[in-house]
Amino acid sequence: MAKGQQLKARIRSVRNTRKITRTMELVATSKLKRAQDRVRCARPYAEALAAVIGDLVTPELVERFPLLQQPKPPAQGGPERTAVIMLTSNRGLAGGFNSNLIKMTLARVGELEKAGYTVDVHALGKKGIGYLKYIGRPLATQRVDIGDKPAPHHAAEVMDGLVDAFVAGELAGVDLVFAKFNNPMSTPPTIMHILPVVPPERPAGGTQPDFILRPSADEIAERLLPLYVRNQLFRGLVETVASEHGARRTAMKSATDNAGEIIQYLQRTFNKQRQAQITQEIAEIVGGAASLG
Amino acid sequence: MHVTVISPEAATFDGPADSVIAPAFDGQVGILPRHAPFMTLLGEGALVVRTEGGERRFHVRGGFLQVVDDTVRVVTEYVEGGSDEV
Repeated sequence: MAKGQQLKARIRSVRNTRKITRTMELVATSKLKRAQDRVRCARPYAEALAAVIGDLVTPELVERFPLLQQPKPPAQGGPERTAVIMLTSNRGLAGGFNSNLIKMTLARVGELEKAGYTVDVHALGKKGIGYLKYIGRPLATQRVDIGDKPAPHHAAEVMDGLVDAFVAGELAGVDLVFAKFNNPMSTPPTIMHILPVVPPERPAGGTQPDFILRPSADEIAERLLPLYVRNQLFRGLVETVASEHGARRTAMKSATDNAGEIIQYLQRTFNKQRQAQITQEIAEIVGGAASLG
Repeated sequence: MHVTVISPEAATFDGPADSVIAPAFDGQVGILPRHAPFMTLLGEGALVVRTEGGERRFHVRGGFLQVVDDTVRVVTEYVEGGSDEV
């Protein structure tokens, strides 16, 4: 009967695990909903900014704004340093979510290093920081306090120093690795080139209306470009949070399903064994009675 | 004309309106229907959107206002309020 007791204990333990994973699934679902709303709310702003910058930018304007210019490669005397911002979550148990982001970051860093750059990695989120420390890669900056509700000022804090360094000619570019939120099931890690700013394309065929600009285009661009740059990171943060919850929900759902399967299998084994034991006991009794008769 | 008020965290207002008074960087600017294409930076202050049902007031800071095709887009870094006042 010892085996039976062991089976029972395992069934109990898997049941408890299933309770936990199911709860985590439900929590992620409700957080996902809120995060999804935030992604939806952030979209019109980003689109409006992008549209305006697309309207403003002309080749002459590009010459006056360092934020729009691609610096020379290091071989031709351009800056040697470049920055990669890596977004990961603070918590695990989200399937391959964080490791995919880390893999993509390391691939991008490798690419840039091959091209002759020195890469500063700025890591946001505990999981990414932990892994890079483990493989012994130094980090330029790190922070873990952004959490579930990224605000525009978080993006500004991270971005402003980098923008200054870029304008001063110390940085050749800033890339962002984040989890794009297509839908809760599809959250591919994605690279976004934040700096230099690539002005969004105007919709083809649309003629540009002759705007009355107050003040001049230059002054408007000067104010809006930093906003645009910050907003790119903000969008990355918001989408990564939504993606994290989506990935966790998927991971926890399959964990819950797997736990159910294991329970079923263990329960069957247990029943079979109990039946076998009963059969054996009856056989023994019958055998004993027969030998007496 | 159609008016939208957008901040990074939410679209605060989206609908038809009769006029908009916005705090531009150098003083207030009023927009009536069929305004010419226009773009300006915003300062800080009260944004008033008049609709048929009354008036909506917001406090905005930074960003820009764009008028194109009888559509006004107020894109601001920070927005607060939106209470109905008649």
